[in-house]
Amino acid sequence: MKSWTRREFGCLTGAGLLTALSPRKARGQAKARVVVIGGGIGGATVAKYLASSATAVDVTLVEPRQSYTTCFFSNLYLAGLRPFESLGHGYEALARQYGITVIHESAAAIDPAANTVALNNGSKLSYDRLVVAPGIAFRDRALEGYDDAAMEIMPHAWNAGPQSKLLRRQLESMEDGGLFLIVVPPDPFRCPPAPYERASLVASYFQNSKPKAKILILDAKDKFNAQDVFQDAWNRHYPGMIEWLPAQFTGGVTAVDPKTRSVITAGATFKAAVANVVPAQMAGRLAQQAGLTDQSGWCPVDPVTFESALQPGIHLVGDAIIGGDMPKSAFCANSQAKACAFAIAADLAGSERFPAHLFNTCYTYLAPDDAFSNAISFQPVDGKLKRVLNFVSKVEEGADIRRKAARAAEGWYDAFTQDVFG
Amino acid sequence: MRPAIAAGLVLLVSQSGAAAEPDQGAQLAATCASCHRLDGGGTGIPSIIGLGEERLKSALLAYRASERPNHIMHAIALSLSDEEIASVARYVAAQGK
Ligand SMILES: Cc1cc2nc3c(=O)[nH]c(=O)nc-3n(C[C@H](O)[C@H](O)[C@H](O)COP(=O)(O)OP(=O)(O)OC[C@H]3O[C@@H](n4cnc5c(N)ncnc54)[C@H](O)[C@@H]3O)c2cc1C
Ligand code: HEC
Repeated sequence: MKSWTRREFGCLTGAGLLTALSPRKARGQAKARVVVIGGGIGGATVAKYLASSATAVDVTLVEPRQSYTTCFFSNLYLAGLRPFESLGHGYEALARQYGITVIHESAAAIDPAANTVALNNGSKLSYDRLVVAPGIAFRDRALEGYDDAAMEIMPHAWNAGPQSKLLRRQLESMEDGGLFLIVVPPDPFRCPPAPYERASLVASYFQNSKPKAKILILDAKDKFNAQDVFQDAWNRHYPGMIEWLPAQFTGGVTAVDPKTRSVITAGATFKAAVANVVPAQMAGRLAQQAGLTDQSGWCPVDPVTFESALQPGIHLVGDAIIGGDMPKSAFCANSQAKACAFAIAADLAGSERFPAHLFNTCYTYLAPDDAFSNAISFQPVDGKLKRVLNFVSKVEEGADIRRKAARAAEGWYDAFTQDVFG
Repeated sequence: MRPAIAAGLVLLVSQSGAAAEPDQGAQLAATCASCHRLDGGGTGIPSIIGLGEERLKSALLAYRASERPNHIMHAIALSLSDEEIASVARYVAAQGK
């Protein structure tokens, strides 16, 4: 009885869609074609959930790399607590178990009028719907002197892969007593707690192998999330090793000098043994080129369907979007991707759309057996993604709970990467 | 009027002949899959496969009421309506069979 209204509603949406999708019907194709650009956390999740939805969809995933290296848990690798290979995930299951066509190429351009994507190898893909999940790019000239060559000397390691290996090598060959410097970019950037987690885990490595080393964090901000939890842990685990300087003390980092491995602030020059410089960020280059970004450098989207506010028919998820209260995390990218996949599938089939559940949890390590977590849920309110519930570990949480969280984090990594890559 | 969101509500939409059956339980279980492996494996986070519908439901209600302390599951359960809890419990329980 009650479902009748829904059915009617569904049919109406379906009827509306027939017009929208008539070009593909005219070409005699039975299934809608969805192209997903970017096989990172957001893109791989959209592809998988679309391919396994009740709606018949042909899914093509475009990703240049054969294997994805997770940024999450890469700080454990930097501290020597996890092998590099354990961060790698291939696309075989997505192709074989879910029937996704995986093309290992870069997308060069999008033509929204023709509904096509041009690949670097010269070929073209047509789509009925497009999802773009290109992650982040670094802003040009955000820091004077920090160019491609400087990145090879003062790595950012903010995209996991060769940069992470470079930073690990530098940390390993650093002499005891050396200074490890971390430059934290201005908001918004990928994974807000990650610079402080990195400091914590590298400190645990130094404590065992280079106990006289020091860590200096030069921040673009004057405070950071869960600061009390981090600073309490630094005092307990690594007394005197980590120093954090807010922007109000330094005037902010303005330039780097790779020749001397120095970082220059308004008031002083800091010479490092190893410098980890994380530059300011914006949406991935393709989003910029395709006109999907606004003046902020990020992509405005509808918070229910994740459709671009600038280019209809193109959806975006992950770090590239203006997420409102949602931070740029893998968990958020995965959560948005599911909502987006269900919205696209419902729209293509003209079927019911259920309220989405958007969520974020980040497990953050303070030491190998001391981790904390947060749990936040979000809802679209007035066109924006708003935080509705927010729980975070407290400073006074017992060691047993923290130890349990460090174990739960391992379980999360296993389940989460299985959820994304099959 | 109660919104019609019972799991198993089948919306047959004969568009290009494809029958779409969106299942709310399946979509909610996708949220759980970010942390719980739905193939029954996993360590560090308890498996929710094989628990049975009633145990799933009562665990979620206990987390929601903070009778079982855990801030992650408290937040998850608080974000679910009674109907959603019933729907996800039914779906997850059926995965174990
Ligand atoms: C040190 C560190 C620790 C972190 N820890 C956590 C954590 O504990 N928990 C958490 O939730 N998050 C964590 N994150 C954040 C997380 O890694 C990102 O938020 C997440 O990867 C975002 O997903 P995405 O899909 O938007 O981008 P990505 O995962 O970066 O994926 C983008 C993909 O797009 C591809 N691509 C780009 N351009 C093109 C193109 N033109 N054509 C085709 N493909 C293209 C890229 O190759 C890439 O694979 C951490 C990040 C860092 C740096
Ligand atoms: C962010 C990670 C996360 C998500 C998402 C999540 N859980 Fe959990 N879940 C946990 C953790 C951690 C525990 C262990 C909590 C404890 O120690 O009591 C747990 C415990 C449980 C338990 C208790 C298991 C037992 O053996 O008694 C149930 C039931 C459960 N979750 C169901 C769900 C359902 C259903 C969903 C989806 C709606 C879900 N969880 C989503 C992390 C998560």
